[in-house]
Amino acid sequence: MKVGIPKGLLYYKYHPFLITFFKELGADVVVSEDTNKKILDLGVKYAVDEACLPIKIFHGHAVALRDKCDIIVIPRIMQIKKNEYICPKFCGLPEMVTNSIENMPLSITEPIYTFTKKRLYRWAKSAGKKVTGNEFKIKHAFLKAYEGQLNYNAGILDENYDIKIALVGHPYNIYDNFVNMNLVNKLNKLGVGVETMEFTHELLISLEINNLYKRPFWTFARENYGFAVNASKEKRVDGIIYISSFNCGIDSVIIELIKDKVGSFPFLTLKVDEHTGEAGIDTRIEAFTDMLERRIVNESNIPTHG
Amino acid sequence: MYYLGVDVGSVSTDIVLLDEHMTVNEKIYLRTKGNPIKAVQDGFKILKNKYNQSEISAAGTTGSGRMIASAIIGGDAVKNEITAHATAALEFDEDVRTIIEIGGQDSKIIILNNGIVSDFAMNTVCAAGTGSFLDRQAERLDIPIEEFGDYALKAKSTVRIAGRCAVFAESDMIHKQQLGYNQPEIIRGLCDALVRNYLNNIGKGKTILSKVLFQGGVAANKGMKSAFENALGFEIYVPEHYNMMGAIGAAIIAKKTVKKVGRTNFRGFELAGSNIISKSFECEGCTNKCEVVKIYENNTVIGYFGDRCGKWSNKIVQSSNDLLA
Repeated sequence: MKVGIPKGLLYYKYHPFLITFFKELGADVVVSEDTNKKILDLGVKYAVDEACLPIKIFHGHAVALRDKCDIIVIPRIMQIKKNEYICPKFCGLPEMVTNSIENMPLSITEPIYTFTKKRLYRWAKSAGKKVTGNEFKIKHAFLKAYEGQLNYNAGILDENYDIKIALVGHPYNIYDNFVNMNLVNKLNKLGVGVETMEFTHELLISLEINNLYKRPFWTFARENYGFAVNASKEKRVDGIIYISSFNCGIDSVIIELIKDKVGSFPFLTLKVDEHTGEAGIDTRIEAFTDMLERRIVNESNIPTHG
Repeated sequence: MYYLGVDVGSVSTDIVLLDEHMTVNEKIYLRTKGNPIKAVQDGFKILKNKYNQSEISAAGTTGSGRMIASAIIGGDAVKNEITAHATAALEFDEDVRTIIEIGGQDSKIIILNNGIVSDFAMNTVCAAGTGSFLDRQAERLDIPIEEFGDYALKAKSTVRIAGRCAVFAESDMIHKQQLGYNQPEIIRGLCDALVRNYLNNIGKGKTILSKVLFQGGVAANKGMKSAFENALGFEIYVPEHYNMMGAIGAAIIAKKTVKKVGRTNFRGFELAGSNIISKSFECEGCTNKCEVVKIYENNTVIGYFGDRCGKWSNKIVQSSNDLLA
């Protein structure tokens, strides 16, 4: 059986788990190719107008897999952490995809709760049944996939750069190089090293969160806010770049929270949408780099606040 | 000796020549009209008749068309608009703390502290509330853009126009016109809306301290200047060469680069008469299918643009070196 996995949204975070799980079940795993113009065009064509770019791109990946698999995984991610939620578009993703794209193959859309191994196993049991009747095989595949995910080292931690920035945002904006127009590569070329949130310990993130007047509702908010604030406070980085898709409601809140907290610490927001012209993004990162360079040289002249 | 600065923007292409004392000796303002190469060539035609190319000791480019411009003229420095504008503003006025720059499709705020950029912001992907929007409305109202500001100043009262989005603003404007508001009031309302939009979006969270310089093509609009002054509560200044500041910055940066490197890449004014054509093709190298633009000068390829991996653009080594200059 051919199981299709679209390379969109939280694929960038959970692909070790998803791929291992279905491979261990004995399925032929087909992953869509890296996002490209064709996939973007398909996504824009099929997705509802109001959706954000990452959702549209996910639709494009789903269309690209439509005729290449017997069953397609459309993860309905509900909760990653207890008492926290993620964007509602993730919860309704299967409905959006299957109703907007005609002739879709069967799909695996069981709700995913990842905050305990037990809860996640529930998903594995019902999702696995669609591929095999062998419960032992499902359990084995789940354990292997779980372990694979735990051992997976994602994230970017550049060393040996004079200037460093914290790159903040959703994983599908940070790791999809089509969407972000090769941002990390561009920054490296300008002599800027990048650090992403994966290297900030959960405890340090929580520490920052505890200083907020209210616990954030969203998992993305907690992770991004905690990382950005911690990295700036500990001076591990010289600036923060937040890459955000146009229209993202969660980002609009997180960005303001971070800005409010870090004060005059250099902060740049990059908005991405369907644009493929790169002049806009180039201008912003070049100017930001120039500013950081000069700030470092003049460090002693700049008050920390004001 | 002169230093050449070229700012290829979405609406205008600005060319300046600075002398040794950084005074503007020549300035040329041309409409880009979607053809940056032709705009630069037209500018060079004017320069060619007045100057000798050996008089040019450095050339710099900026603006959204800076890469293409640099490839055809042989630029010594290619700089983003933020740095270029800040450099130019500081050259003329050391006390500047805030730069408001509104161009054709970008608007920016630059905060300076002790003579260096300490913060900046630009409009996001949306170009609402920039010069091209004003251009379009001027055209719709059949008023030359040059007179737009005077109209705004004639208004006795103002009318509230939605400013968040150019499309919303336009429909709101049309509704207000149909209600019978006169042109000056509508235009003043539009200026107020753009200023409100600017301060609430780009200027959000930034402390705008005096002295404020207002630069970019839109600074020609007196209505905008007055709307900013009303909103901020203090005077703002429009520098003499407000619409050339990017080009001036590029020239100053190029001068510094040449001083470091010791030679200029400038290819001369002959370009004015050259046959420059651009062809675009879709690269089939990978699934990215980048749209690559290939520039020919008299049948010789002088540059490639638009490829993400550098497969084409690295063929012209010079331009990539300049990027880091």
